[in-house]
Amino acid sequence: MATLVNPNLITDLQKFGAADVNACFSCGNCTAICPLADNDATFPRRFIRLAQVGLTDDLVTSKELWTCYQCGMCTSRCPQEADPAEFMATARRYAIAKLDRTGIARAMYTSPVAAAVISLVGLVIFGGFFASVKATAEERLVFGVPYEWIHLVGLVVMILVVLIAVFNLAMMARATAKRDEVSAKSLFGSRKAWGNTLRAVWYSVGVESLGQKRYREDCEDDDPKEPLYRRRWLIHFLTVWGFLALFAATLIHYGSDIIGLQGAAVGVVALVARVVGTIGGIAMMYGVTWFMINRKQKVSAAAQHSAPSDWLFLWMLWITGLTGFIIEVSLYLPQDHPQPWAYVLFLVHVAIAMELVLFLPFTKFAHVMYRPVALFFYALAKQRSAELQSV
Amino acid sequence: MSENEATPVGKVAPEDRRIGVYICHCGGNISDYVDVEAVREALADEPGVVVSTTELFACSDGTQHDMIDAIKEKQLDGLVVASCSPKLHQVTFRNVAARAGMNPYTYSQVNVREQGSWAHQHDKAGATEKVIGLVRSSVAKTRLSDALEPLRFDTVPRALVVGAGIAGLRAAIGLAEIGLEAVVVEKAPEVGGWVGRHGETFPSNAAGRDQIASLNEQIKQRRDITVYTNAELTGKSGTFGNYSAEITLHRDGGDKTLTVDVGSIIVATGFDSYAPDDGEFGYGIEGVVTLPQFKELVDASEAGKLIYNGRPVRSVGYVYCVGSRQEAGGNEYCSKFCCTAAIHASVLVNKLDPSVRQFHLYRDVRAYGRNELLYNETRDAGSVFLKFADDAPPTVAKLPSGGLGLTITDLLTDSREVTIPVDLVVLVTGMVPRQNKSLVDLLKLPLGTDGFFNEIHPKLRPVETVVDGVMIAGCCQSPRTAGESVAAGLAAVAQSAALLKKGYAELEPLVARIDPEKCTGSGDCLTACPYDSITSIEWDGRQIASVDPATCKGCGGCIPVCGADAIDLLGYTDAQMRAAIEEMFEASVPVKEPVA
Ligand code: SF4
Ligand code: SF4
Repeated sequence: MATLVNPNLITDLQKFGAADVNACFSCGNCTAICPLADNDATFPRRFIRLAQVGLTDDLVTSKELWTCYQCGMCTSRCPQEADPAEFMATARRYAIAKLDRTGIARAMYTSPVAAAVISLVGLVIFGGFFASVKATAEERLVFGVPYEWIHLVGLVVMILVVLIAVFNLAMMARATAKRDEVSAKSLFGSRKAWGNTLRAVWYSVGVESLGQKRYREDCEDDDPKEPLYRRRWLIHFLTVWGFLALFAATLIHYGSDIIGLQGAAVGVVALVARVVGTIGGIAMMYGVTWFMINRKQKVSAAAQHSAPSDWLFLWMLWITGLTGFIIEVSLYLPQDHPQPWAYVLFLVHVAIAMELVLFLPFTKFAHVMYRPVALFFYALAKQRSAELQSV
Repeated sequence: MSENEATPVGKVAPEDRRIGVYICHCGGNISDYVDVEAVREALADEPGVVVSTTELFACSDGTQHDMIDAIKEKQLDGLVVASCSPKLHQVTFRNVAARAGMNPYTYSQVNVREQGSWAHQHDKAGATEKVIGLVRSSVAKTRLSDALEPLRFDTVPRALVVGAGIAGLRAAIGLAEIGLEAVVVEKAPEVGGWVGRHGETFPSNAAGRDQIASLNEQIKQRRDITVYTNAELTGKSGTFGNYSAEITLHRDGGDKTLTVDVGSIIVATGFDSYAPDDGEFGYGIEGVVTLPQFKELVDASEAGKLIYNGRPVRSVGYVYCVGSRQEAGGNEYCSKFCCTAAIHASVLVNKLDPSVRQFHLYRDVRAYGRNELLYNETRDAGSVFLKFADDAPPTVAKLPSGGLGLTITDLLTDSREVTIPVDLVVLVTGMVPRQNKSLVDLLKLPLGTDGFFNEIHPKLRPVETVVDGVMIAGCCQSPRTAGESVAAGLAAVAQSAALLKKGYAELEPLVARIDPEKCTGSGDCLTACPYDSITSIEWDGRQIASVDPATCKGCGGCIPVCGADAIDLLGYTDAQMRAAIEEMFEASVPVKEPVA
C-alpha cells in the first residue's frame, strides 16, 4: 500500500532549523562517513529523504534520530553543503515537537516569545506551589490567590505533564516497535527473549545512557578535537552524573523527611545528601558552563547552530545549579534562620528545577526519555542482525 | 548556361596518350597480399603508359608532390592510381591532377585494396592477377578519357525560409545581413511560433514574446526581408541556385498565388507538442495539464498567485518524459528540452510563490550544460526529485479526499511506495514531428524513422539535405532548445551563402549528353529519367531530346533505353566502358612468383 505523504513536511521541519538541507541530493556520502551508521541504522541520508518526501511518522518515531551524537563528520563531507548534522539535530527537535500533541513543545521551539512566556508561567505555577506548601496560615494568599488553589493547580499540572510524557514516549515506542517488528512475544516470549531484552536494556541504560560509551568514542572523530577538559562527551558525562547526583541528594533529603527519620540518623543522612549534592552540583555546573562557552564560541559542529530552546535548557540548568549553591552557602552564614532573600532564592531554585524536570517532554530535555528507548530498539535490531548473520 | 563541351585531349590517338600509373602499397594493406612489383611490371609496357611505379603511401604529402612533378615533367595527360576506394581519395588525386595543370577528369582511381588485397588474402597469385586486370582496364578507360570542365551556372541571391518561428525569423535576418534577400512564408496568421507564446524562457529569462517582437522589429526595418503570413509553399521547380517557388496566400477574398525565384530553401517548420492519450498519466482528469498548458498558466500568473480553475495551487507534481523515450515503436528519442523547460517552470513558480511545494517525478534529469545550474537552483529552493524506473512509471489518480495523488516507488527511501497529494499534475510533454505531408512531398524532404527531417550527416553536414539547396533548421529536424534551433538556422544561412554568394555554382560535369545527330526523338528517355532532367526540344527542324545538365545527376538511367545509342555519359562514355571491359577479358597475365 502506498503511503500518503505530507508534502509540507520539510517546510514545516525547517521552522526548527536545517536551512540548507534542500541542497541534499541523496548521494549518501554522509552515511558512508558516519561512524554510527551501520546496517541497523542507516542515516542521515535516508532521514533527509524521509523529510523531503514527506514521511512524517517514519521520521519522527525513528530510533536512528537518537543514535546520532552530532559529531558533524557528515556535514564536513557533504558535497552539497546541506549540513546533514544540523538536519539530524533539527529532526530531533521536530520529533520532540511532533510527538508532543499539546503543541507546547512546538510553541517553545518555534517562537522565542512563546518559550519565554510558557517558562515564566511554569515558573509562577511551580513557585506558587512550593510557596504554598510552606506557607503559614497568615501567608495563605499569594498575589491574592488562595493557597489551596495554587496547590491544586500545581498538582494537576504536574500530573498532566507526567501523563503527557508517558503518552508521548509510549507513542514513539509503539511506532518503533511496529516498524522493527518488536512485540511482547519477541521481548518476553522465551528465556532467550528475556535474556536479549535485558541485555538491550543494559546496553541502552547502562552502557550508553549512564556510561556514554559511543558518545565518548564518537568524539574521537571530532574535528577540531577539543581539549579533554571541555570535550563534548566529558562535559555531557559530568552534566548527566551531576544532575543525577543532585536528583539523588534531593530524594535522600526528602525521603528521610517523608519516612520521618529521627535522631542521629538525620544528621548522617543530611551529611550524605549534602556531600553527594555538592559534588554533583560542581560536576553539573562545570559541564553546563562549558556547554555554554562551547556554544557561544561555536567550537564544534554540534555547537554551530543554537536554537532558543538550547539556550533555555542550559540556562535553566545553570540557574538551578547556581541558586542551589548560594542556598547551600547561606545555610552556613552566621544566622539561625535563613534570610528572607534566601527563601525567595530557594523558591526560584525549586521552581526552576521542577520546571526543568516537568517540562521534559517539551524541551531539549526530552532526549533523556527518547534516547534510551531508541537505543533499546537499536540494541534489539543489532542482536537480530547478528543472529541472522550467524545462521 | 553551360560551357560543358567535352574536348578530347588534343585528339591524341589512344595509344599515344601519356598516362601515369601509380600502384600503392597502402603500407602493406595492399602489398602484403598483392605482388605490387608484378603489377608495376605488367603495366609498364602497356600502350600509352609513360610512368608505372609503386608507392608506399600514394596519398602521403611527399608522394603527391612527386606525382605533380612527374605529371609536369613527363607531360602526362592521364592518371591512374591503384589504391583504396574512390570514396576515400578520389578527390585527393583529382586535386593532384588539377594542381599539376592536368584535367582532373582524366584521372581514374582503381580500388585494388577492398576489391583486391582484402578480398583475396589467401590467394596472392590470384589477387595479383585480378589487380593487373583491374588496372589495365582502368588504363584502357583512361586512354579514351576527355578533358571535362565543371558545369557553371548563375544563382539567384535570395533564399526562401519556410516557417517564421524563432529559427526562421533569425535565419531571415542572418540572410539579409550576409547580403541575400529573404522571403519568409508562415502558415499561421502570426509569426513567432512556440517561442512567441511564452513569457520568461531559459536560459536568459527574457520573455519569448519579447525576443520574437525584437526580431520582428528588425525585420520590419529591412527592405530585403519579405514575410508572408497565412501563406504556404505550394509549388517548387528548378534546381538549386535557381528554384522557382510558388507561394499561396490565404486571404479573405480567396487564395492568391505568387512566384518567387530563390537560390535556396531553408525549412524551419518546427514541431508539435506531444498530445497525451486520454488517461495517459491521468490526462483528462481535472488538474492534469501538459507542459505548454502549465507554462501558459505560469506566464499568466501574478506574483503570489498561482491559480488554476479559480483555486490557488499549493503543490505541483511533474511527470517527466511524457511522450518521449517510449518503447520501441513509439517516440524512442529524448525530447531534450523538456527536463530543463519543466525545471525552469518550477523556478518561475518558486518566484511567484515560494511556499508552493513541487515534486518532480523523473527518469533521468537531462539538464545538460549550464542548465544544470537551474536544476540546482530549483532543488535548493525545495523542489524534490523522485526517480522512477523505466518499467515502473508513476500513476496519477484522484484522491478520495479531493485533489490528485501521484503514486511512485521512491528508490531513495528504501523503495517505499508513496502517494504525494498535489493540486496540479504537469505532464512534461516532449516534441513530436509536425505533420506536414504536402511540404514533404513537394520538397522531397527525407524523413527519419522518428518522423523528423533528416540531414546528410549529423556532424559534418548538419543542416543540408540530400536535396541540393534545401536546408533544414530547428525542431523540424529533431527536438532541441530555442538556442540550438537558432544556431541551426544560422548554419543554414552560412550554407546558403556558400551556395549563393559567388553568384554562380559549379557542378560535376559527369552528366548525360545527347548526340542530336543520332537522336530520333522517340522520347523513350524522357520517362526514364528519375530527375525530370530530359525534355524534348526542337533542333534542326525536328524534335529531339535534351538533357538539362544542372539537374542531371549522371545516374545513367536513360542510356540503356535509347534505341539509337544517342546518349553518352561524360566521363563514362560507351567507348570507355567498352574498352575497359574488353581489357578485362584479355588473356590472363603470367605472374612471376606465385606464393604458397
Ligand atoms: S546530506 Fe549531503 S552527503 Fe548526505 S546524501 Fe545529502 S548531499 Fe549527500
Ligand atoms: S552528526 Fe555524526 S553521528 Fe550524526 S549523522 Fe552526522 S556523522 Fe552521523
